[in-house]
Amino acid sequence: MGKRAMSVLLSATMTFGMLAAVPMTASADDVQNITWMFWDDLDASEDPITKGFKNVIDRFNKDYEGKYHVDPITTTLEEYYTQLNALVDADQTPDVFIVSPGPNLTDYVKPGVAAPLDDYLNADGWKDTFSSDAVFTQQTYDGKIYAVPLNIAAACCYYNKDIFKEAGVEVPTTYDELLDACKKIKDAGYTPITISAGTAWCLSMLAGYLCDREGVDLDAVNTGKESWVQDKTIDAGKKLLELSQYFQETAAGDSNDDATMAFAMGEAAILIQGSWAIGQMNAYNPDIEKSCGVFQFPAIEGGNDPARVIAKSDSLAMNAKTKSPEACVALMKYFTDDEAQRWTAEQGGKIPVTNVKYDADKAPAQMADVMKIFSGASSTFGFYNESLVSSDAGSYFDNQMVSIYKQEKTPEEAFQAVEDWYAENGYRK
Amino acid sequence: MDKLLRNKKVIFIFVAPALILFTLVLFIPIGTSFYYALCNYDKATRSYHFIGLGNFTKLAKDPTMRIALKNSLFFLFFSCISQLVMGLLLAALLTNITKGRNLFKNVIYLPCVLSSAALGLLWAFLFHAKVGINNLLLQIGIKGPGWLFETKGFITLPMWVIAFVALWQYVGQSMMLYMAQISGISKSLYEASYIDGASKTKAFRYITLPLVKPMIGTAMSLNAIGSLKFFDLIYAMLGDKTENLKMDVLATYLYRTGFSSKGGNHYGKASAIGVVLVVLCLLATWIINKLFKTENYEM
Amino acid sequence: MNKKKKIKASTVVIYVFLSLMLVLYLAPLVWIGLTSFKSRPEIYKAPFGWPTAFHFENYAMAWKAGRLGIAMMNSLFVCVITLILTMVIGSMAAFAIARMRWKLAGAAMVYILIGMMIPVHCVLIPLFVRFAKIGLSNNLWGLILPYLTFSLPTCVFIMAGFFRSIPNELLESACMDGCSIFQMFFKICFPLARTGLFVTGLMTFIGNWNELLLALVFVSDDTKKTLPVALTKFVTPYQTNYDKMFPAIMIAIIPTIVVYCMFSNQIVDGLTTGAVKG
Repeated sequence: MGKRAMSVLLSATMTFGMLAAVPMTASADDVQNITWMFWDDLDASEDPITKGFKNVIDRFNKDYEGKYHVDPITTTLEEYYTQLNALVDADQTPDVFIVSPGPNLTDYVKPGVAAPLDDYLNADGWKDTFSSDAVFTQQTYDGKIYAVPLNIAAACCYYNKDIFKEAGVEVPTTYDELLDACKKIKDAGYTPITISAGTAWCLSMLAGYLCDREGVDLDAVNTGKESWVQDKTIDAGKKLLELSQYFQETAAGDSNDDATMAFAMGEAAILIQGSWAIGQMNAYNPDIEKSCGVFQFPAIEGGNDPARVIAKSDSLAMNAKTKSPEACVALMKYFTDDEAQRWTAEQGGKIPVTNVKYDADKAPAQMADVMKIFSGASSTFGFYNESLVSSDAGSYFDNQMVSIYKQEKTPEEAFQAVEDWYAENGYRK
Repeated sequence: MDKLLRNKKVIFIFVAPALILFTLVLFIPIGTSFYYALCNYDKATRSYHFIGLGNFTKLAKDPTMRIALKNSLFFLFFSCISQLVMGLLLAALLTNITKGRNLFKNVIYLPCVLSSAALGLLWAFLFHAKVGINNLLLQIGIKGPGWLFETKGFITLPMWVIAFVALWQYVGQSMMLYMAQISGISKSLYEASYIDGASKTKAFRYITLPLVKPMIGTAMSLNAIGSLKFFDLIYAMLGDKTENLKMDVLATYLYRTGFSSKGGNHYGKASAIGVVLVVLCLLATWIINKLFKTENYEM
Repeated sequence: MNKKKKIKASTVVIYVFLSLMLVLYLAPLVWIGLTSFKSRPEIYKAPFGWPTAFHFENYAMAWKAGRLGIAMMNSLFVCVITLILTMVIGSMAAFAIARMRWKLAGAAMVYILIGMMIPVHCVLIPLFVRFAKIGLSNNLWGLILPYLTFSLPTCVFIMAGFFRSIPNELLESACMDGCSIFQMFFKICFPLARTGLFVTGLMTFIGNWNELLLALVFVSDDTKKTLPVALTKFVTPYQTNYDKMFPAIMIAIIPTIVVYCMFSNQIVDGLTTGAVKG
């Protein structure tokens, strides 16, 4: 008897567990329910892009009421891929999910989690609404497009016009001018460059620019045609070290947020960041909008084409096993329709992927400068940490750049370490 | 009565739920963990390949692992010793006063029941590079150190800061344990010693300390395991910055290796770190029990 | 009695020292209370001053932005269920081990006590992998199971101590009155070990209420996060909203502080008794 009681107790617990495990999407008759996974909280976030996405979801659910319905699954950027992987493992892959192009997307293309989207893109002129085919470059594998870009963020140098004027500095166009400017700004009593080494990718972005300006051929390095240890990378490392004397004193511990704030508050003259920082700095200090200028990352004499720009896009991938591809495609189209793209430009501080007309006056003042730089770019390249052979390689690279900055390693040692990492993990023959 | 208490069926019913849970949620996973530790997890195919001790040899060469191990061991020693000293001191002082004893005791114990995540965020702000304490120091003309980002030294400044915050938060626990033991000591013992002319310090040395010794073992093993498990405070105070600040401890390194979006999903390697952790825990408890061995094994 | 003696210097030193400790413990809490009412620029400019204006809306914003309402309900759900299950399952096991006569009682105790020495980190990965497969990841029951398991050792340990201290005669007379073993347990021993239950309940509840690591790993959906996880979300690599974070911290710790103030003596003494008896 007692045994029975216990087994009842146990099975009750189990059933409870199972019941709770079933997603609460029991639906009305014909509504096709899909899930969409994103790395920020739609309701809580102050990020303008996130707010725009919330509008998209709300519009979609309203317009398709009774036909389609999308439930967002949101988490934080920090744990996003972990949680996404857990859902994939549990065979609960979200129908549509956001993903960074590059090795992160590859992780889902290779095992067949993400579906190729060419057929949908070509079907009714959807693809023609995009500004160019080039926007799909980073989303293409073996000739097939696996994700739809939603926006483009370009990494630029922001500068405080007032400080520049006070220090008597012109906008630098070459690396030497940049150094010179930094020196004058420091003499004028300001922090020349504000950057975050606490959040490693921020520092790594600068390193990426330096490497590219030096003319590092990333493809050749990734595929093993060239080594990470070469004059160009090492020069880039040395320049990183050289610039680091002009960073704010607390750079080692500052987060991205701290670094951007120092710029917004007028403590520092130059910030090297993606265009998403525009919304952030204007939120900290609305006055910065007037005094903030933007310039292209300076050229290195004798180096690579200086009109190349680091660009990054958020993209949507579709679950290859989704039950409602039509609903997924309809949702993705909402993300790239005029209203969403206009928001991207006017509020989001990012560059739209379509040819949408938007009101430049509504967009933050810095946006026009970013657009100018972006449209004048000869070509774009990805974040270095998202363009290496794997996401692990990317974070390893980031950390090596930080150790150069902290002078724990010489540039030679640091790039040797990256090369060794490639060898240890089977990317070198 | 004896028959009643020997009823096998009843015993089974009483013990089974706990033992089943233990087996399913603790012991089988630990076994699995040891197995995973010998495997390489392939992200693309989501499968495990047996590689023997590969993860451990990798860890042995891994500089971050060395830092994590060093920090964890520092933390272990620091918290064992500091909690012993501060806990005993506070307990001795509090048992010697009557007025306000409850107030002091309750206030010092308070952080033990509060969320480390919440307190960690609070301290992170106070030790922030610019705002917080440094802002205060600046007003009187002192440039504060980088409390939470100085990376020089064998044991870095942030490690000390966090160790002290942990001491601040958890010393109430040790204090309470020692107080309980001290107040359990019969008054007549002390009275007898005072009649014999012993001073308070002498009484403390010759009566309190020996009688508190068994409790030292218990409190210290609790501290040891607690400090090896240490995660919440560091995570709340430093977030994802632990690696670059060389502030990883075993738990944060395990978390990052297993679950972070950057460089995560290495379930095999993370399990290997877990194995190191469990071995350290068992070792620490064993050593402490040897040191403070008592005949009264229940406490 | 004390009046006869002069106040000794050592007593003064003790009180001064303890008062300093008091400041060290209370000042951060008072400070955070004040700061939670400041506007964001003020937090940066004058973190230690008295607030120029009390921004009560900070609390409303934090409550909404952090989904603290849902987080609190989630925490409550998880902790209460774990608490009840722990007390029932734990004390049953403790009773069988402490009072019933069987050969393997000692072994069972050791088996359970090993759990006290094993950090939850070691089973994190296998549980995560397993739970993902059976639908327990991203599910509050996936938190309850490990919480329950890791709360049991302390519970069994302390409750066994309490059950051992129940005099034999009491059980014998109950037996004479024709009590069944279940009645003996639920009607006599369970109520007698009230203090023990209180202590273990407290420890279980507080421990799980504050638990971060498992909650962080096992639950990804924002609507299922527990309170400590919801707190850490205010600090992200992209933005730190101090003006929301501080109120959120206050919201998270105030209930605990209130309960603690009401029952502090019982809580602290309860834990003491638990430690002594255990």
